[in-house]
Amino acid sequence: MRSLYHDGRTVMHRLPAGAKLAGLMVVAVLLFLTRSIPLLAFAMLATGTIYLGLGQPLRVAIRPLVPILATILAVVGLHLLFNGVEEASVTGLRLTALMLLAASVTATTSISDFIAVISQAAMPLERLGLLKAADIGLAVGLVVRFVPEIITRYDAIREAHRARGLTPKAGTVIAPLIIATLKDADSIAAAIDARGIRGQ
Amino acid sequence: MFGRVQIIFDQTQLRYGEHSALAPLTLSLSEPRIGVIGLNGSGKTSFARLINGLAKPTSGTVTLDGLDTVKDERAVMAKAGFIFQNPANQIILPIIRDDIAMGPKSRGLKGPALEAAVDSVLDRFGIAHLADRRPHELSGGELQLAALAAVVVTEPGVILFDEPTNQLDLKNRAMVKAAIEGLAQHAIVITHDLDLIRDYPRVLVFHEGALAFDGAGTEAVTHYVEIVGA
Repeated sequence: MRSLYHDGRTVMHRLPAGAKLAGLMVVAVLLFLTRSIPLLAFAMLATGTIYLGLGQPLRVAIRPLVPILATILAVVGLHLLFNGVEEASVTGLRLTALMLLAASVTATTSISDFIAVISQAAMPLERLGLLKAADIGLAVGLVVRFVPEIITRYDAIREAHRARGLTPKAGTVIAPLIIATLKDADSIAAAIDARGIRGQ
Repeated sequence: MFGRVQIIFDQTQLRYGEHSALAPLTLSLSEPRIGVIGLNGSGKTSFARLINGLAKPTSGTVTLDGLDTVKDERAVMAKAGFIFQNPANQIILPIIRDDIAMGPKSRGLKGPALEAAVDSVLDRFGIAHLADRRPHELSGGELQLAALAAVVVTEPGVILFDEPTNQLDLKNRAMVKAAIEGLAQHAIVITHDLDLIRDYPRVLVFHEGALAFDGAGTEAVTHYVEIVGA
């Protein structure tokens, strides 16, 4: 998992993260309220212009979208088969516009800004005494941070199997992966305490 | 260069059930560089974790500049930074700059002052070019420096290192050694790397959960080698 954030000084970069996420939510709702193909096509062009105008090299901009585009194409294909051209067009344009806008938000918002917004959004729950808002942001950051580590460990365990002439199987790979991850979780928790980050 | 820091162990003992991790220990530490050596399982890490309050004494007390590690846990942790054996587990945000900023941010620093503090510590450890990288893209030595930067930016009085050169190649080892030497803070270094602490004014040798020797680096290393029988 690589960072999708791209440093820059565009208007999108300068907008507050909260405004971008709120805007994304509103646009997403609006996109699902209309079935007008010209309007959806305009939305797709507009969001495409925003995304490609962020200053990323074209290859860098396209690469993270490939798996999502493939999924959209599959969905469009199914609609073509079962629901006709109009439904397929509406769905394809709607999902592509949404993907491009979401990608624009992701590419212009750093993880720490995301965490700050999530923590802020969780403040009402903190006021109700249900949780600490900063912990929610921290949890999101931890997930993004440690997914690549878990993938690396998974690869290492599979490699260790192969080095011993064994075929990696779910049962023999998952157990050591869980044990190692839980062990790491202990030291990560200790590090969080030692750095005085939680519950300030 | 070094502010005064005093750590006092007073009849401090640490047990996990029937197992004694550290036999009753009484000593005072104030030297700017202190080494801690011993075999695996000899009590070195327990000793270090007692200093910053990650481990609580079963009996006796540990104080850091008069602050009790149990009663004043938060203040102690703010004064005693800790660099863990695996620095990758210590870097908890996906981007190095964000991770370094997290400590001072949670202590109320923000805006240009926060950015200046982060930039300054990145420059100081020569890792400004890694600021926007992700931890899994860094080498072992770079990870150690990033973890160290994240601790130093909060300006603790003492930094505890748990095997900082473990599994590092010669180049990264030299990089980490230079970083420790250049610290304005007191440093307590737990290590198997005897060259790292040989010149320290004070080195503690732990053996089977107890302090076996307390003296200058060269003598401590000789004593340790005798104990091990190497």
